[in-house]
Amino acid sequence: MRIFLEQFLNGLTIGSFYALVALGYSMVYGVMKLINFAHGDLFALGSYLGYTVLVIGAGWITQVLGVWGGVAVALTAAMLGIGIAGLVVERIAYRPVYKAGRLPLVVSALGMSIFISNGIMAIWGPRFQAYPPDAIPSAILSFGDIKITVIKLVTLIVSLGLMALIYWMVEKTLFGAAVRATALDRDTATLMGIDFRKIIFFVFFVGPALGAMAGVFAGLNYGRIIFNLGWTYGLKAFTATILGGIGNIPGAMIGGLLLGVMESLFEGFVSGAWKSVFVFLVLIAILIVRPTGLIGEKVAEKV
Amino acid sequence: MKKTIVWLLISVLSVALLLTGCAQPSTPTPTATTSASPTPTPAETIKIGLQAPLTGNFAAEGQWAKQCVEVAADLINQKGGILGKKVEIVIADDGSNPKDSALAAQKLISQGLKEVIASYGSSVTAPAADLYDANKVVSVGYGCTAVRLTMEKQRPYFFRTAGRDDTQSEFFAKFAVEVLKAKRIAIMHDNQDYGKGVAEDAKKYLQPYIDKGECEIVYYDAITPGESDYSAVVSQIKEINPDVWFFTAYYPEAALLLKQARQAGVTCTFVGNNSVPTPEFEKIAGVDVIKGSIHLNEPMPQFLTTPEAKEFMEAYKAKYNELPGSIWAVYAADALNALAAAIEKAGSTDPDAVANAMRTMTDAKGITGPLMFTERGDRKNIPYYAYIYNEEGKLELYWPKD
Repeated sequence: MRIFLEQFLNGLTIGSFYALVALGYSMVYGVMKLINFAHGDLFALGSYLGYTVLVIGAGWITQVLGVWGGVAVALTAAMLGIGIAGLVVERIAYRPVYKAGRLPLVVSALGMSIFISNGIMAIWGPRFQAYPPDAIPSAILSFGDIKITVIKLVTLIVSLGLMALIYWMVEKTLFGAAVRATALDRDTATLMGIDFRKIIFFVFFVGPALGAMAGVFAGLNYGRIIFNLGWTYGLKAFTATILGGIGNIPGAMIGGLLLGVMESLFEGFVSGAWKSVFVFLVLIAILIVRPTGLIGEKVAEKV
Repeated sequence: MKKTIVWLLISVLSVALLLTGCAQPSTPTPTATTSASPTPTPAETIKIGLQAPLTGNFAAEGQWAKQCVEVAADLINQKGGILGKKVEIVIADDGSNPKDSALAAQKLISQGLKEVIASYGSSVTAPAADLYDANKVVSVGYGCTAVRLTMEKQRPYFFRTAGRDDTQSEFFAKFAVEVLKAKRIAIMHDNQDYGKGVAEDAKKYLQPYIDKGECEIVYYDAITPGESDYSAVVSQIKEINPDVWFFTAYYPEAALLLKQARQAGVTCTFVGNNSVPTPEFEKIAGVDVIKGSIHLNEPMPQFLTTPEAKEFMEAYKAKYNELPGSIWAVYAADALNALAAAIEKAGSTDPDAVANAMRTMTDAKGITGPLMFTERGDRKNIPYYAYIYNEEGKLELYWPKD
């Protein structure tokens, strides 16, 4: 039981990374019907931004504000920076080709993805970069035999909290209703007086900002980042999006968490070598039974 | 609703097509251009190729290899070169992966090179070695230790200055049982050529001890390389609690695994294989994590004692202000030394004569000891050591102490 609990907790942490990144895919898809392949790389860029802030500021930020202050500054800077980067990506890579149809958009998104990951490589180099150890909170909590780092716990709580906030915003507020209306039918929504630009601003700022947060947390948790980080996480997060039902915000969260827990439990109890095989088998099985993903039905009905 | 799914499928398929499309052109095709043009231009220099992972996962190793080979070339040139001609190094990047490796090999072959140094990583080296062999180019590997490279089939033009995986695995079995007195052993690999090879051989060489009831293997599985979170595996190791945990893959995963294991309260002895203890490993994991961990290796750059090593290390330090980051880079320099000695002995750069000289030379001295090769292209007499990180996070010789 203890080992099961421990593995479940491991899975939740990995899953919360997937879920945070998946949210960005799903929000953009819901509104634009576009798979934003650059999203995974924005996540990696966020991780590098946080790294840069911590490396440059390790001397004084950490001294003045303490380790957690440093973490907060890095998180804020990365989220703001990547939020803006997300808007820029939308402006230069998507808006000009939006009317050309789906395929040019997908190609444009792929191009953006390659551009960003190679840009990271050109700026920070192809080698692994290590988050400065002094800037990472190193405390470890013990619950009986289960040991968990404080930063892991914070990652879990903050991401689950933020997911709840986004869920509340999209499902329960007037602005959220506008986002959902735009997702259903952009033209009619615009006729009803919904400002499409505001919605675009929302999905392309908040999505990447959440990705950036996940990126900084990944750096803080694992201490090691590399330029193609976005590819590994992007693929998993995209899988999570499909699993949960693309375009559906709670779906992305559930898909991410489920994927993480499945991976962790399978690796822990059966075999690490066969983990990916098993996880994708489950994905295929779920898609055969529910082609729109676990909880994709709701959105799909209205489309 | 249907429309959405159709569009989704189309976009996913198109991505898949794009990705596989990218992979297609790199399938090795026999080169027709290489042997066709006998260029009679009087060579002022002897050109030797270096294929190295300058980008990708092993970029650090590639850079070190390049620096080492260049320093070794400078030393050769200072002493009058090979056959009275200066050595010139032609570099190709193999991006740390098998498909770019074939491209890099093509590039060097098409430039008319007859001797190359190639490469780091067994699965990266294999396709290149095949191409070099088919085009009669002598290639010398420096960071590839899979047994099958020389034992699966005979490549007449392939050699390596590094040892083989089973040398290391044999050493591990003896070391773990006789020195560390381990009863319960965990073996973890990464399902790739190199790591899996070491793990399988370790199992093989442990078998006699298992038969005698002196130890047992309590864990044998793989991790997925490239991931960041290994907590699931770590929890498993914690539950099993072996005496010795042998990890047989590369440093990026080793650093994360060990860090997460120590954070989770795993206290068993960690034994890394020969590609774990690098400066990058120390940087990512940190002193607190690595201290007490033991790593198996061929002699490490800082512990080399031959006069050639002293000369080389001084020259390297003068140029880069540090020692080479890993032994593999030094093996790359020795690959050049071996080729230089063989060309000198053969009296020409003719690949057949050079390959023959490589097999028969007995007096070539390298940085890492005598350079002699077996009929199949393996190096003779490679010593092995276990090193330990001390409290300050510095490596010390652990066993055998002379």
